Amino acid sequence: MKKIILTILSICFLFTATAQIISNLVLMAKPPAQLSEWGSRREVLTLILNGQGVPVTQFKIKAEIKTTDGTVVGSVDLARAAVLTGNQAGGPTILFASDVLPLEYMNFTGKYKSALQKTGKLPADNYTLCTRPVRPADYAPLGEEQCKPFYLASLQLPILMKPYNEELLDPKKAQTAILFRWSPVVPAQTSPVTYRIQVFEVLNNQSPVQALRSNQPLLDKELLAVTQYIWQPQLTFVNEKSKFIWTIQSLDKDQKPINQTDGNGEGRSEPIVFFIGTSTKHD
Amino acid sequence: MSGTAGITYEGYGLSRSPSGWTGYTARRPWNQVRFNFTPTFRFGKDFSLPFNFNFAAVPTNFAGPYAGIKNQNFGQFITNPVNSFGLNPKYKWAELQLGTQYLKYSDLSTGDIGIFGAGVDLRPKTWRFKFFTGISQEGVNYFAGPPTVTGAYKRKNWMVQVGNELEGKYLFAVNLAKGKDVPASASPPPTTIKPQEGVVISVLGNVYVDKIYFKGEAAQSTFTKDVTTPTTTLLRGLKPFIEPHTSSLTDFAGQLSLGRKSTNFDIGLMLKYIGAGFQTTGYPYLQPDRFDYTLNTRFNAWKNKAGGYKMNVVASAGRRVNNLKNTALKANQFIANLNWYTQFDDHWSLNINYNNFGFQSASGTNPYGIKNVSNDLGVNPTFTWTGTKIMHLVSLSYNYSKYDERDVMTGLTTSNNTHTALLTYVPTYLTKDLSPDFSVLYFYNDVPLAKVKLFTVSSALNTNVAKKKIRLRGQLQYTLGKLNAFSNNNNLIASCNIDYKITKKLSWNTFLTTNYYKYGNEITPVGANYLESMCRTGFQYSFDTKR
Repeated sequence: MKKIILTILSICFLFTATAQIISNLVLMAKPPAQLSEWGSRREVLTLILNGQGVPVTQFKIKAEIKTTDGTVVGSVDLARAAVLTGNQAGGPTILFASDVLPLEYMNFTGKYKSALQKTGKLPADNYTLCTRPVRPADYAPLGEEQCKPFYLASLQLPILMKPYNEELLDPKKAQTAILFRWSPVVPAQTSPVTYRIQVFEVLNNQSPVQALRSNQPLLDKELLAVTQYIWQPQLTFVNEKSKFIWTIQSLDKDQKPINQTDGNGEGRSEPIVFFIGTSTKHD
Repeated sequence: MSGTAGITYEGYGLSRSPSGWTGYTARRPWNQVRFNFTPTFRFGKDFSLPFNFNFAAVPTNFAGPYAGIKNQNFGQFITNPVNSFGLNPKYKWAELQLGTQYLKYSDLSTGDIGIFGAGVDLRPKTWRFKFFTGISQEGVNYFAGPPTVTGAYKRKNWMVQVGNELEGKYLFAVNLAKGKDVPASASPPPTTIKPQEGVVISVLGNVYVDKIYFKGEAAQSTFTKDVTTPTTTLLRGLKPFIEPHTSSLTDFAGQLSLGRKSTNFDIGLMLKYIGAGFQTTGYPYLQPDRFDYTLNTRFNAWKNKAGGYKMNVVASAGRRVNNLKNTALKANQFIANLNWYTQFDDHWSLNINYNNFGFQSASGTNPYGIKNVSNDLGVNPTFTWTGTKIMHLVSLSYNYSKYDERDVMTGLTTSNNTHTALLTYVPTYLTKDLSPDFSVLYFYNDVPLAKVKLFTVSSALNTNVAKKKIRLRGQLQYTLGKLNAFSNNNNLIASCNIDYKITKKLSWNTFLTTNYYKYGNEITPVGANYLESMCRTGFQYSFDTKR
């Protein structure tokens, strides 16, 4: 009887230890270029582990980022990676980017390491992420490897083209119309970008960026998918020389600033100054 | 004591018709009062005490950390960029900097933000030592709105410069600037940005030899985009000034300019490299990941009888390349400007200007790349002649602007052409205190599916009355606009300046303007119109107790 119980327990243990964990990797096709942003946005990566009715015990996630030719450019250092514990109730275990790709425990190679350290991003390209649960002690596989392709290219905010930096505009012409031009968001987005153009007057005692951060804009207009705007200011430019600063804020389809973790977090392009007046001397 | 003090009131009104139509929104605060108090007290020849107090009663922030804020606490009021409270007592070479200071240490370290705090600027002999610490923004809680308050983390700043300078000869300096957010300072926190921390160290060198100048700066930054991410040992960064996190970047920037300046000829070369991961809290809108090079020149030519020059040319040409680290799609820009002015004789002058800005980049998975090219050419002849009582000036200005944009799906380029013609007549009365001007302008913009025509007539009049104590200026402008085949838009603007010098030290300046705009039938409701008016009036007192 004792032997039979021992045999059953051994079979159970063996079954548990070698049970295939079914995993399902869900990854955005175009995730944020800034890798550190993946951890704070749960929608970027989800890994669902299912022990098929058997509770998933302790495990680690072996994760590798590969180029399209299969070269591994980044991988989790399993010796330092945290040991994860599955859902003890037997249900699925859900992991996110901070669990699967802990940047603090990852090793990158060559130019990828250099690019990541300098920019927080990998070079723009197509990549594949492969994950597999492994046993913490010897890294033996606990399930099938799951791979998903993704494309990385960071967004470039518009560059202001016209009026160009420190351009002096004729007041008579400017009172009727001022042309604004800017480059589009690169790469081209799947949904149209809303460009919010803002023009601020720089008062006598203000620096240009101070005016941008404190004044109510004389022009504040949202434009869908166009890169030129004809502004009829309906203002009188009586001073010898008035100073203005203008910028473009790029918004996504939900009217939220795109490229939020780069730069100022407002999706605002580098602003530039222009003048309206007759004086040729710049301040 | 010298300087000024004043108070200015701005009132704004907007009336829209028909009732309930919201197609045009207010673009100024309804009521605003601005104060300025900027006297400088001098005690003997060595001690001075300048004040710089500029503040407004109503917050009007639309961009930056205070965007949307309506009710400020005391700390937010003090640090709001709309307000400045600065005091800079100075004794010989030692300056104490108190309150709000906009300090520019260099082009790559810090210079664009105002900080409320305390510091020193010490300049014994040729040595330079500067230090400042304070708060550039207070914590602002996120509020969904309306109106939405973006929210911000409280940011503490430190900056130091050590150097040696002989004015007009050389400057060598080392700068360090640091900014650090306080994560718990906003509740609820901002949704679009994380608490950050950044340090930049730069080395600056300027040398001037006769007419030749050489300026250079090299900088390294370590910037953490989210201080709540785990720390890492993989990145060294600028330890011990900052502890690297997994969201930290460390990168370089540099700029170099050299050239020659003289009375009749300038030439200069400017190179600027900003690494993709270079970021500093001192320049929050700096665009990283680019390499710019620009060649500038200015010269005078063609001598006239008086020994001066008839011709002045200012030109520049340059290129900007983005994406040096290949983390994005490569973009190329070509920028060229030319302004060529010639005074042929006492009557004729001609100004020609040209501007080109080209932008080219791949567009990701689309079949065609992005290509936008803007070209502008302006020609402006002016003729002047003098009669017995009037000096006449007639100026004609024509500008052609072409903007080509390629569709990334079809590869087809659409051209956007704009023609602007302006005729101005300015008679200046030699025997009367009267300066009128008259102008007529035609503007035409043509892009597929949209043609915009604008026709403007305007006139202004300047004069002094009441024994030149009151200066008056009035202007009337009428614009007739037309979009495609829709009915005409009508716009009438009237404005008036009254500057009254009450005493030698006290003046009262008033500006009144009203703007009426009536749309054609291109928008609904048909007949929509608005009337906006603005009144700005204020007193300025000039301190001047010099004997």
